[in-house]
Amino acid sequence: MSSTMPMQEYISPGHMACPGCGAVLAMRYILNVLGEKTVVVIPASCWSVIDGVFPYSAVRVPLFHTAFETAASVASGIKAGLDIQGDTETTVLAFAGDGATFDIGFQALSGAAERNEDFIYVCYDNEAYMNTGVQRSSATPYGAWTTTTPVRHPKDRPKKRILEIMAAHEIPYAATASIAYPDDLSAKVKKAKGIYGTKFLHIFSPCPTGWKSKSSQIIKIARLAVHTKVFPLYEVENGFTFHINMEPKNIPVREYLKLQGRFAHLSEEDIADIQRQVDEEWEHLLKRALY
Amino acid sequence: MGKQITFDKKEDLPLVTSSFESMAWNKTGDWRYLKPIFQDKTPPCNNSCPAGEDVQGYLYLAQKKKYKEAWNLIKEENPLPAVCGRACMHPCEDSCNRGEFDEPINISAIERFLADNAIKQGYILPPIKRKKKKEKIAIIGSGPAGLSCAYQLKRIGYQVTIFEALPALGGMLRIGIPDYRLPKDILEHEIDTILELGIQIQTKARIDKETIAKDMKDFHAIFIATGCHKSIRLGIAGGDSRSVISGLDFLKDIHFGKKVPLGKKVAVIGGGNTAIDTARLALRLGAKPFILYRRTPAEMPAIKSEVIQAENEGIEISYLTAPTRIISKGNRVTALECVKNRTGPPDSSGNKTLIEIKDSHFPIEVDNIISAIGEIPDISILPEEVDLENRLIVTDESLKTTMNGVFAGGDVKSPLRSIAHAIGSGKRAAIAIDRYLKAKTLEDVMDTIRIGDGPGLSMRSYLQRDDPSRRKTKQVVRYKDINIDYFEQKPRHAVKTLSIEERVSSKKEVHLGFPCETALQEAGRCFNCGVCNHCDNCYIFCSDLAVIKHKGKTRNTIDYDHCKGCGVCIEECPRDAMYMEREEK
Ligand SMILES: Cc1cc2nc3c(=O)[nH]c(=O)nc-3n(C[C@H](O)[C@H](O)[C@H](O)COP(=O)(O)OP(=O)(O)OC[C@H]3O[C@@H](n4cnc5c(N)ncnc54)[C@H](O)[C@@H]3O)c2cc1C
Ligand SMILES: Cc1ncc(C[n+]2csc(CCOP(=O)(O)OP(=O)(O)O)c2C)c(N)n1
Ligand code: SF4
Ligand SMILES: [Mg+2]
Repeated sequence: MSSTMPMQEYISPGHMACPGCGAVLAMRYILNVLGEKTVVVIPASCWSVIDGVFPYSAVRVPLFHTAFETAASVASGIKAGLDIQGDTETTVLAFAGDGATFDIGFQALSGAAERNEDFIYVCYDNEAYMNTGVQRSSATPYGAWTTTTPVRHPKDRPKKRILEIMAAHEIPYAATASIAYPDDLSAKVKKAKGIYGTKFLHIFSPCPTGWKSKSSQIIKIARLAVHTKVFPLYEVENGFTFHINMEPKNIPVREYLKLQGRFAHLSEEDIADIQRQVDEEWEHLLKRALY
Repeated sequence: MGKQITFDKKEDLPLVTSSFESMAWNKTGDWRYLKPIFQDKTPPCNNSCPAGEDVQGYLYLAQKKKYKEAWNLIKEENPLPAVCGRACMHPCEDSCNRGEFDEPINISAIERFLADNAIKQGYILPPIKRKKKKEKIAIIGSGPAGLSCAYQLKRIGYQVTIFEALPALGGMLRIGIPDYRLPKDILEHEIDTILELGIQIQTKARIDKETIAKDMKDFHAIFIATGCHKSIRLGIAGGDSRSVISGLDFLKDIHFGKKVPLGKKVAVIGGGNTAIDTARLALRLGAKPFILYRRTPAEMPAIKSEVIQAENEGIEISYLTAPTRIISKGNRVTALECVKNRTGPPDSSGNKTLIEIKDSHFPIEVDNIISAIGEIPDISILPEEVDLENRLIVTDESLKTTMNGVFAGGDVKSPLRSIAHAIGSGKRAAIAIDRYLKAKTLEDVMDTIRIGDGPGLSMRSYLQRDDPSRRKTKQVVRYKDINIDYFEQKPRHAVKTLSIEERVSSKKEVHLGFPCETALQEAGRCFNCGVCNHCDNCYIFCSDLAVIKHKGKTRNTIDYDHCKGCGVCIEECPRDAMYMEREEK
């Protein structure tokens, strides 16, 4: 594919992620663009573990581990500290899971976004609380199995539309991205880096362990998420200007679902239902993009 | 990097937990139970090329605009790319994986571009440094089989002499295939590049069993590549009439500038390349030829695209039509009586049987009859020790005949009659002769030099001019192995052809070559099946940062200390140039 992504690496091998972890790629692609002058804030999550154990870190830039609900407030604080020091070069990156973003850290994030704090907030979305053993979050998709939404009672509520919620704060930049499309992802990080204020990136990060999928297929699954319209790639500028970055190939959702054990219990009807939901959401997005 | 830290005393501990080293000390490779391995496999195009060309290899070089290197790479295996780029039946295209995606790569047009470009730019082959050998080898016949064998033997280091019955070299390439398909200056140029290596030639030297016995004692081995130059006679009443011309003689006579008086109505009998070429050449000489073929279109042995060209040029082909009698007035043929056939059930060889339709005889007025119903080898020249079967020379896998030191290849040995097969058999014979003279067997090296599970052999591997670490496994990459998510549909570029008017009024080449830009774009469509082209997907998608890039052309490697064996690299390799192996624990 011959990528345009910078190849200077800021993550060392030997980290503690599961084989085929999408969250590592998300962090890797972002740091390759942001470079050395970056401070990372990580709330409790898989990434707290991935980074390694004292006195080591798999990330080669300063990284602050913080409490589950505090990513956005700590990032605000670090940015204020850098300001006081007169450091305008360093980028502050909050890097949080979906649990920390959609649920428990949401109050802190919403507050920071409303104040338009100057940092990049990345939600790496693996669609459940993975680090504690696959509990549902409000990012878990409709129909999915988790340990708290067992097969007999799979998730019966749709995934929260976080990007629109964040865009509704009228922050300068909000975008979705996927580890299957590193060039698109890198371009968005680069764009975010050049904008003042709160930038929110929602990155689709498959988790073979929690999704009961093959570790080898994470990129394929992420690619299918885009092309089945399950996870469209788009961006929103200043709260209102929607722009779709990649035309989905319109592959049936079945192709996406069938690669993942967390959807194995779904009946034909369930799948048809999910297809309808996905189509509806896409129509909804199209309307906004045309608006 | 990767240091482990120990704090000896409590006081050495930092006040706040902080990190001092990376995690590289942590050898996560221990977690792995499947091991990814970089390994090139055989592309289907390479696998199906009887001449053993590294098709994918030169398409890749063409993608990189390395046209000279691409030409050199073809020349390692085949001394006649300008010929093959024009007249090869290109089985490579039939097996091209891209054919299942959209359309096969136009490999022949790219091959022709590379060869024509080499002629235009005056490229010469880089010399190969090998010790001269004292052994002398005689090649009988200078068609593609003889030329290929001579070329490769010379490259190995032998002293080679070609004996050719005709006044000029090239075999069917010269006397069979007409100028409008293969201009003779192009052929001569490629023959010259072969002779420049220092090959002795004797033209007008018809060899037979006596000369072999008398004059060839000095030679350490002989390669017979005399082809099929005897035309089969029309076995019908009047068929011996002197006014029935043989197709091959007609092509040959025109080539050597003889006048062949033709009327308007020229009946060409037959369905092979000779018939089609004869009719198309007669058309260009002002006649109004038509073709009579006793079987169905599907059974016609001529190259399909050539048949279509002939029809486009206005040559009518009557199928299921067989001549039964020639009607002459004095020495002049006036008419041809024919009968219509219908097909019956297939016979033991799978061909449909032909049944004459009763009372369907009809006469056709003709000025000339050209019989092109097939050619057979002239076996009268062969020594008795050389065994034959179905009028073809019998050999083993190494093309060794039943006579000691005598090898045979091309049309005189194989029913698979094509330029590429002839070139391939010339190469096989060259390798086999080298093995024979070293008292070794071909079989011993087959594993190294055989391309996939196909007919071709690699001279490059035989002469160890390739990188042994990049030798391909025998596994042939199929369409299902390609990750098509990395490719977009793009239509194949077709070659332009002369207008029909221009064609029939001249002997100019019908197909025009690709301009450079088109060749580049068409080569760019190639998937590079099974062969790493440094796309770096393995590197980009490795979440363990365990793929290591190197400078220059060196292939990526895997840091097995850290690779956890997730398999993403295997899945995302667009061209299946990797495989997984179970880890032995
Ligand atoms: C009209 C025609 C068109 C064709 N078109 C195509 C095509 O488009 N594509 C394709 O792939 N194939 C084509 N073929 C088939 C192809 O040309 C042959 O398969 C190929 O040339 C065989 O090569 P060869 O070296 O075995 O024999 P040849 O090319 O036949 O060469 C044999 C040589 O040996 C010489 N010779 C014979 N006897 C003696 C002797 N006793 N002493 C010394 N020399 C001798 C002959 O004069 C000749 O030069 C065509 C064939 C014909 C007849
Ligand atoms: C206040 C608080 N509640 C619960 C936890 C336990 N905990 C640690 S990580 C985690 C899950 C994090 O989920 P998510 O943010 O989606 O990240 P993931 O692990 O999936 O990458 C939980 C529940 C905690 N550390 N703090
Ligand atoms: S796509 Fe390229 S490598 Fe693959 S079969 Fe076709 S020509 Fe060969
Ligand atoms: Mg999560």
